[in-house]
Formats: sequence, C-alpha cells, structure tokens
Amino acid sequence: MNCEDYRQAIAAEPSYDGGEAHLSACADCRAFRDEMRTLDGRIGRALAISVPELRLPDLPDIDSANVVPLAGRPRFTMPAWLAVAAMLMLAAFVGLRMVGSNVSYPSLTDEIVAHLDHEPYALRVTDEPVDARRLARVVPATVAAMNHDAGLITYAQTCVIHGKKVPHLVIQGARGPVTILLLPDEAVESAVQIEGESINGIILPVGNGSVAIIGERDEELGKIQQNVLNSVTWST
Amino acid sequence: MNSSDAATTRRRRFDELVGVFHQDMYRYAAWLSRDRNVAEDVVQESLLRAWKSLDALRDDAAAKHWLLTIVRRENARYFERRRLETVDVDDLTPSQEALLADQPDHELDDVRDAIYRLDDDYREPLVLQVLMGYSTNEIGELMGLRQGAVLTRLHRARHKLRDALNNGTASDQSET
Repeated sequence: MNCEDYRQAIAAEPSYDGGEAHLSACADCRAFRDEMRTLDGRIGRALAISVPELRLPDLPDIDSANVVPLAGRPRFTMPAWLAVAAMLMLAAFVGLRMVGSNVSYPSLTDEIVAHLDHEPYALRVTDEPVDARRLARVVPATVAAMNHDAGLITYAQTCVIHGKKVPHLVIQGARGPVTILLLPDEAVESAVQIEGESINGIILPVGNGSVAIIGERDEELGKIQQNVLNSVTWST
Repeated sequence: MNSSDAATTRRRRFDELVGVFHQDMYRYAAWLSRDRNVAEDVVQESLLRAWKSLDALRDDAAAKHWLLTIVRRENARYFERRRLETVDVDDLTPSQEALLADQPDHELDDVRDAIYRLDDDYREPLVLQVLMGYSTNEIGELMGLRQGAVLTRLHRARHKLRDALNNGTASDQSET
C-alpha cells in the first residue's frame, strides 16, 4: 500500500484500521489519519442538529384489507431450493419453541425470547468473526467497552428491545450459537433464568443494566457468562 | 388475538419504532432537503406511509433502513411535487438558514456551512456514514450505488470539506 491508497481508504472511512505496515513507516499518513478522524468528529457534531418534538400525523385506522405491502427487500440471496429448506427449518424451529412455551416469562424475557425467533439467521454455526468495524459500530464506546474475552463473535446487529437500541451479538458456544444482548438501560434486581423447550439462558444484572445470554438447551453457559461479564463495561 | 388487541399491538409497535428512530428520520430529511420546514413535511409524510405499510416490515431489526428508505423516497416525491429548483446557497429562506444556525457554535458553524454546500451526491453518503452509522455496503444499497462509487464519493466529500475549512471558506465545492 502506498500513500495515495492509504489516504483514499482513510478519507473514505476514517475508522479504517488496515495499512498498518505502511502507517508505521509514514509519519505524513499518520498525521493525515489523525486529521481525518478529527474532521470526522467535527462532521458528526455538525450533523447532529437539534430535532423538534415528535408530532405524529393523524393515523388512519388500518385493517388487513387496506394494508399496502411494500416490495420485500431480501436480506440475502440464496438458491430457491435452499430458501425453501430454510423456511421449513425455520417453521419447525419456531414451532418447537411454541410447543415449549409453557414457561411464564416476565415482559423483558418475553421480548428477548421473541427476538430470538425474529432473527433466526443470526443463529448460524460459523467460525468467521464479525468484521471489527461493524462490531465497533454496533457496540459504540458510548454504550460499552468490550474486549475480546467474550469469545468468537460471529454476528453483531443493533436491535430494538423495549423501545431502545441495543447491541445484539452472537458468539459460538460448544453446542451452537449463543445470543448476547447488552441491555445498559434494563435493570433487573437479580438473575432471571430463561428456560424453554430448546433454549436455556439467563438475564444477569450488570451495574445499572443487564446482559441476556441465551444458548441451546444443553449449552453450558457458566463459562460464557463469566467471559462476557469480564469483557463488558458500561460507558454510561 | 381479537382485532382490538391486534390494533393495539400494531400501534404500540409503531410508537416504539418511531420513538427510537424519529431523530434519525428528521436529521436525514433535514440534510437531504437542507431545509427544516421541508424536513418536517417529509417526516410527516414518511410517518404516515410507514404507518400504512407497517405490516410489510417483517423484521424490526431492519426498521431503521426501512424508515430511512421511506424518508428518501418521500423527499424525492416532495421535490418532484413542488418542482423546487436547486437551493441557491447565497439566497437562503429563513427555514434553510435555521438549519445552519442550529445551536450556534463558532467551531461547528463553518463545518455545517461546508456540509450544506456539498453536492447532494457527496452530502448524502457522508450523512449516512457519519450520522447513521451505515457501512459503505449499506449506503450503496440505499442509494443504488456500487461500493466503489460510495467509497469515491466519501473520500471526495471529506477532501472537499477539508479544503473548504482549511481555506477559510466553504464556497469552493468544485469537483476535484
């Protein structure tokens, strides 16, 4: 990588963390990187204009007859046969969950379990770590500091739980994917167990918030819990 | 679930999503239109459209992208309906000036003015990346661009801003 390549990359994406070999030998590019990152902070503050109070328009009554569906945007592409197979597996997966839903969940737990079914594509077995920049976006420094002790993180997405944007991560456990939800604004008085037909998990109090950890029914969560708790520090 | 429960659940879902993403919708609309009054109109239309189409959103994790897409389309419709001319940056209306005068801060005024003067093609991906936290892939998807084009626009946008700020004027936004 030469200076031009590096400067194009850093100007397009100031969080770019590649080109270390070039950077270590080029003081000018280090200075340019610092300048771009400083500029980006100013751009961010300038763009964050004040927002007027939410004022909803008059919302008409909706019934199924006058709902206008938008064209669906596929989240990813796959061969038709694979899509059909995935749908059948998903239906069986959700069905098993429903069969096992004889546990009475409090509201937060209920929403968390529902969310698992909402994003089944997150629960894939893989050894491919999520992109570091994506992880930094999903778990911004303003929410939590997170080191790499949690485990192999293979999925990161900002999701909505109880009306708040929260980081949704997946790490790979011994029995399969384990969902981690960082909930800095959801305080729980004590640990809340989650048990279902195909899952087991726990919501742990952490500072003024909590962390939900949910794995397969036979996943040993003790070690994972400890790793996650050791790796997360709330920033708020 | 009876129809009343379903309506209540639907309304609650809408309120939660809008509560979370209203700020993003407004700021995106404001920087697309460069006008606070237009942004409010666009957001109102977008909320109405989102309400009518809510059942098409199958995955709330995709709500932000869905809502911003609606804002983008409504903004385009707004300008098509009004057949507004390109904003002349030297002849601003009060509501256009209000965007630049937001929370006056000498350090930020110049940056905001420089961003305001960027061409739409450069300003929009910058807003999506810096303010909305979008990846270059996600920007490309929303704007219908290939990733290479997004990267080019982003690095040119920052160079334009840097030049404008270093020269002490935000008026020179010509192509480099």
